[in-house]
Amino acid sequence: MKTPFRGFTAILYKEFLTVRRDPLTLFFMLFPPIVEMIAFGYALDTDVKHIATLVLDEDRTTESRQLIDHFVNTQTFRVAGYAQSITELAEGIRRGRAYVGLQIPPGFTRDLRAGRTARLQVLIDGSNSSIAGSSLNTALNVGFRDALLQLAARTGMRELPVEVRPQILYNPEMRSPNFFVPGVIGIVLQIATCFATAMSLVRERERGTLEQLLVSPLSRWGLMLGKLTPYLGIGVLMAAGLFAVMRWLFQVPIAGDVTALMFATVLYVFALLSLGLLISTRAANQIQALQMTMIFLLPSVFFSGFIFPRETMPWIFYAIGSILPATYYIELERAIVLRGAHLGDFGMNIVVLAAMGLFLFSLCALRFKQKIA
Amino acid sequence: MIECERLTKRFGHLTAVDQVSFKVRKGSIFGFLGPNGSGKSTVIRMLCGLLEPSGGKATVGGFDVATQTDEIKTLIGYMSQKFSLYDELTVIENLMFYGRLYGLRGEPLAKKRDELVALTHITPYLEKRAGLLSGGWRQRLAMACSLMHHPMVLFLDEPTAGIDPVARRELWDLLFEFSSQGMTLFVTTHYMDEAERCSHVGYIHMSKLVVCGEPDELKQLPEVNPPDARRLDVTCEHVTLGLQAVRHLPGVRTATVFGQSMHLLVDKTTTEDFLRAELRKAGISQADIRPIAPSLEDVFVALTTDRNQREVLA
Repeated sequence: MKTPFRGFTAILYKEFLTVRRDPLTLFFMLFPPIVEMIAFGYALDTDVKHIATLVLDEDRTTESRQLIDHFVNTQTFRVAGYAQSITELAEGIRRGRAYVGLQIPPGFTRDLRAGRTARLQVLIDGSNSSIAGSSLNTALNVGFRDALLQLAARTGMRELPVEVRPQILYNPEMRSPNFFVPGVIGIVLQIATCFATAMSLVRERERGTLEQLLVSPLSRWGLMLGKLTPYLGIGVLMAAGLFAVMRWLFQVPIAGDVTALMFATVLYVFALLSLGLLISTRAANQIQALQMTMIFLLPSVFFSGFIFPRETMPWIFYAIGSILPATYYIELERAIVLRGAHLGDFGMNIVVLAAMGLFLFSLCALRFKQKIA
Repeated sequence: MIECERLTKRFGHLTAVDQVSFKVRKGSIFGFLGPNGSGKSTVIRMLCGLLEPSGGKATVGGFDVATQTDEIKTLIGYMSQKFSLYDELTVIENLMFYGRLYGLRGEPLAKKRDELVALTHITPYLEKRAGLLSGGWRQRLAMACSLMHHPMVLFLDEPTAGIDPVARRELWDLLFEFSSQGMTLFVTTHYMDEAERCSHVGYIHMSKLVVCGEPDELKQLPEVNPPDARRLDVTCEHVTLGLQAVRHLPGVRTATVFGQSMHLLVDKTTTEDFLRAELRKAGISQADIRPIAPSLEDVFVALTTDRNQREVLA
């Protein structure tokens, strides 16, 4: 009669009824992650293209117009207008009309034809580093290529001696949603799931029903597992919804096995729900539970590799990242979604996620006091 | 069925329960009385295994509350002050949940549920959510929930607080029925009339058990009935006026108003005629004076003032 999970089915029965009875809570659990994901997914677009550029063409020759075309053809620059003087060019950047100013001085073509160094000036607004970086690289590339073509022409060569042919694997268009959206799923999943279990046990404590449960022969493992199971179902369902949004709204193809992806998701959600339960064994009321959840979840936004690559972080942040479930899940998720990796390729991540889940779950069952203080 | 020996609970520096000892026999209704904060709930919580005693020993059904809580849990039912129910579940779902919690399934579960529904007359509300029930019905449901597993001991922590008089009486009728079936009941209450109906009562004051026994036994205690004094009931018009008149007379030890009359504890030597004469001076011509036995309230008042005085002296 005495089993370690005594009372599990009773709690399960009650939790399912509670969830079904309260569609508003369910809605508020499912809806925000989808909205957050859409917002995040669009906002985190770091693709730098068609940067507004002002042109001051003082040369006004076929060559100078060709040069401008070369700039525009890279797709990085877009001509936003023409300036009449260098002051107007600088003023335009300061006012935010454009990020880049391209000045082709008089005599550009003359110098070019005479074999002298032809100069052109590019003004770049450095206040947005990713736009500045991209502008700088592209501008230098255009210059190099033009210079090389000129040299080649002079030596009678029709083509460049070396040509690099880059082939971009797994995300050939280098779309940033492909990189960010899977990460966003990992982040938004944890807020909703962690909250759900943290709140559900704290609510019982506040209402006094926990005391009623404690005088019954219910075991702590039965209580914890009964609380966790319905939300595991909801969490996985929610993840499936998020993946659908990723696939059809953000057009991110899933290269790998969907079953593998869902398996990883189950492990991840289990770990998060256990974390929520662990918080609820410590928190005295819902406000405290809320604050504690945020404390645990905020670091994952920065240190999980979701936005910033972990490899370049100071060791302390790298270390923090390695104790977060989100780190392992996001890495695994990107591998499966983008590169079509097999679970076996990332066996370590699976093991770590499973171990974290079991550890947190055991910890909360063991730390849960069957006495009231 | 329940035995406490020098049971003590300390919260930091505060001693909430101080060396309380008593016994509750199987099938009896034990009324546990005392003012708010005197330690009633703490004793119940220790007996239910919710709190660990800091000292002393207590057993329920022969099992130690400190070490054998698992055995005790299947034996007892507990109805807390707040009638802890799941508001979003219906009446029937609450019953089913608590039944399952104690391992009931299928046929026996349905049978027990129907039995308790019939007993508490809650049939018209079965599909209603518990959160929408009125106080009296919530209390009935909470009691039915705590009885689903047929406990041998039922602990009720202020079951009648905030309940209308009809519901209160009906609850007590149920309690008597359970008691006649052999269930042991442990009830805390503020109401003296409820205490009078218990087979045994205990009174806790300032964390200490002041007295414990059968109500009739307690009324015979020498501290309550000093040999050189007697209790009188004085029924007259303008009782409050009468109280002013007699309160400070020589020979009158205590005077308390009870509705239309007042209860006096007077020296044996103080006569009815003397009191009548004093009342007449205050303008009360008619007074019906007769000797009475002490009520439980008298007992508790006598014992606590007695104790307070002794503590002041010590």
